[in-house]
Amino acid sequence: MSNIDNIEPPLIKDEVGSLHPINQVKDFLLNMLADLGFQEVDGPEIESEEFNFDMLNIKKSHPARQMHDTFYVENKSHVLRTHTSPVQIRSMLKSHPPLAFTSAGKVYRKDDDATHLPMFHQVEGIYVDTDVTFANLKDLIHQILHNLFGKDVKIRFRPSYFPFTEPSAEVDILSENGKWLEILGCGIVNPIVLKNCNIDTEKYSGLAFGLGVERIAMLKYGVSDIREFYKSNLDFLGQFK
Amino acid sequence: MKFIYQDLLNFLAKKPSKDLLSEKLFQLGHEHEIDGDIFDMELTPNRGDCLSLNGIARDLNVFFGKTEAFKVYEGDIDQLNLNFKNLSPEACPKIHFLEIEIEGNVNAYKPYLENYFSSLNNNKTNFFTDVSNYISYELGQPTHCFEADSINKQLIFENRNCNESFKSLLGADINLTGNNCIFSVNNKIISLAGVMGGQSTACSANTKKALVECAFFKPESIIGKSVAYNLTSDAAHKFERGVDIQAQEIVLRRFIEIVKDHAVIKNIKIQSFEDDQVQKNSIPIDVKRINKILGTNIEENEYLTYLSKLYFGVENEIIVPSHRHDISTQNDLAEEIARITGYNNIESKPLKIKKNDRGIDKVDTLKNYLIKNGFSEVINFPFIKTEEEKSISIDNPLDSNRNHLRTSLKDSLLDNLLYNERRQKDSIKFFEVSDLYSKDDEIRQEKKLGIIMSGRRGQNYLDFSKKLDDAYLSELLNKDSESIVFKIEEISRAGLKSKKKDKIFYTEISVDQIPEKIFNDEESSFKPINFIKYQSVSEFPTSTRDFSFSITDFNKYEAVIDHLSKLNDKYLKDAYIFDFYENKKFNEIKVGVRFIFQSSSATLSEDDVHKSVNKLLKPIVDLEGVSVPGMQ
Repeated sequence: MSNIDNIEPPLIKDEVGSLHPINQVKDFLLNMLADLGFQEVDGPEIESEEFNFDMLNIKKSHPARQMHDTFYVENKSHVLRTHTSPVQIRSMLKSHPPLAFTSAGKVYRKDDDATHLPMFHQVEGIYVDTDVTFANLKDLIHQILHNLFGKDVKIRFRPSYFPFTEPSAEVDILSENGKWLEILGCGIVNPIVLKNCNIDTEKYSGLAFGLGVERIAMLKYGVSDIREFYKSNLDFLGQFK
Repeated sequence: MKFIYQDLLNFLAKKPSKDLLSEKLFQLGHEHEIDGDIFDMELTPNRGDCLSLNGIARDLNVFFGKTEAFKVYEGDIDQLNLNFKNLSPEACPKIHFLEIEIEGNVNAYKPYLENYFSSLNNNKTNFFTDVSNYISYELGQPTHCFEADSINKQLIFENRNCNESFKSLLGADINLTGNNCIFSVNNKIISLAGVMGGQSTACSANTKKALVECAFFKPESIIGKSVAYNLTSDAAHKFERGVDIQAQEIVLRRFIEIVKDHAVIKNIKIQSFEDDQVQKNSIPIDVKRINKILGTNIEENEYLTYLSKLYFGVENEIIVPSHRHDISTQNDLAEEIARITGYNNIESKPLKIKKNDRGIDKVDTLKNYLIKNGFSEVINFPFIKTEEEKSISIDNPLDSNRNHLRTSLKDSLLDNLLYNERRQKDSIKFFEVSDLYSKDDEIRQEKKLGIIMSGRRGQNYLDFSKKLDDAYLSELLNKDSESIVFKIEEISRAGLKSKKKDKIFYTEISVDQIPEKIFNDEESSFKPINFIKYQSVSEFPTSTRDFSFSITDFNKYEAVIDHLSKLNDKYLKDAYIFDFYENKKFNEIKVGVRFIFQSSSATLSEDDVHKSVNKLLKPIVDLEGVSVPGMQ
């Protein structure tokens, strides 16, 4: 019979917390893009209209600039950035091609319903060099999506419209239930944008892409309601240890 | 925009199946859903030219050939002498008016017109307005029908600064403010141009003579008005995206033809007002440039053929058709070629960029350290109600409770803590890292870390009865520093809607003030991501049961611990040993275990919990020398 002095107390398990799942996915994307050659750059969430819109060829008449789509602050002197692209503009103005940047972080749109939040996260990338083509963009997007969803994933490119890229594309993947799911937007950087950043468009061209972090997180984790990410519920957060 | 499959087929020479049509629409960039024979299109905002059967058919011409499906009135039309003045030609450089008078009433519509209303669930209004709506569906050009006799003085168009009320044809009073494009008679607004007409001049079922206005309004003069005045307007949707500046006369001739299909026409008169000649938009022919953008080897003749089939003129240069407002550069043409070729048919070409190393910084290291010590990261929205001296104000907030940006993380983290306390959590440790913004002379940005905690120190038997306190947090955070870097405060529970008594501790620090070399010994790499399959969080309450096992046969101790590590029950959400005691005096070991039960679909009854408890405990209490005092 064992002696009480020989009894080993129960093991104490580490009670670890968790990194927010959105930041886990954001880090995963940024690390993957770093492996593909992209350098992370950072910038402000409160932006001027010049950097958030004008420099990106988003004209004054564009619906995105209306008060019902964009948050304006301090007597319309600034906006809450609607994308992380202005970070890339700021970085391009400070450097010379070849360049490959990623920008990631919070962005804001004036939306609040079951499927849209007024704040969400983006990861965007831009690459500028000589002879960058749409065919190169396709290769890069394939690499990104293969890293995310496996080599067998079926990918579809569709023409789309963004003022800062031309040609522009949206990219879908085929889900298990046979439906195409929109994953990201991309395109060849509009030469107007490169000119705005003092880049010689006769010599250089660029490609750009952007992913919604919540969208990727929902697909990869199987979260059906985007609002779950922001309830700060320990029962939710505790699943992502 | 919705269209009926059969209606589109009338515009196409070949008759594709729905599947083939759908495939080609996607290839061209026209996202859609199909419900029976109805295609519901989600067109990109640059393709206002495709907001009609004719427009979509134009884009599909290269695949299926487009027919001129619509007949137009080809007879002579008398000149109208309308008393009209355009005071703002910069907003409306081209406008046509048609005065059309019919005999008798129109009692029945031809199938094509009837079908437009019945299949697309559109409401009929009156004959002239119904024809106007159908024309817009067919050709993409909005028209507006006035009761002709109600325009009895000079009709004026202008973009003017308004502060007056206007009754829309739907009967709503709209208070127009700021600059608006309007039509007026006798200085009274009769129509919000390009958006919605007014009640005072609207056609009715009795209208025999209509004045049909058909204009090109510049998108920037119309944009935002329907949203600003909460008006649902197909016309505004089209004008905002741009209509064809050359289409007005043919549209009005089509209008006459449809009226002629339904009634005897007594009189038709037409008049056009143009500011100046429309400029041709042209782009040099440069197939090399196109191939350089796309990474393709398309031959020049193929390139020119594609553009011709998209209605571009091919002369010494590429002439952009008047309906394509979105084309002005070689990159635009490259996209046209890529759409026709098919984005998916352009072969990928490897892109090689030198690998970049993404290093871990002090914030990442600190996050890893906090997570290792049981803290969970949260992300909060920055919007608050409280106006602080330095807080940034939002000009157009979602609501009055979210009209400023937070300058501290404290209130958000306190909300997170109280939310989880209400959900029966008794050990809460959170942190958040976020940029915060404030103003003095200019807008300032500061990245801050906030940490909050309250309740039990842990769920294990060593920490279960200890509370989280400032000493714990200070030891955790300041252990590697020569001076106190993290200043810890207790947050008073006074005024908080909470029955809990546990003290709340908080610290907030600017990331810049955290020493670079902090927690150097800690893990300094990104943890590989584990894409777990998330389980929905139950909204139903938990039931907690505590049991104390008395073990007097120490040979059974290992079996008890082993069993407790393998507990499994459909309602068991969590279980942990919160007490362990060796009672040498009575030669007994006590093991305290907490079971937490929860259902994903209902509040658990006593009976449900009882059954689960019995099932979980039975293998243990069946052991000789193991008992649960007080349990039968």
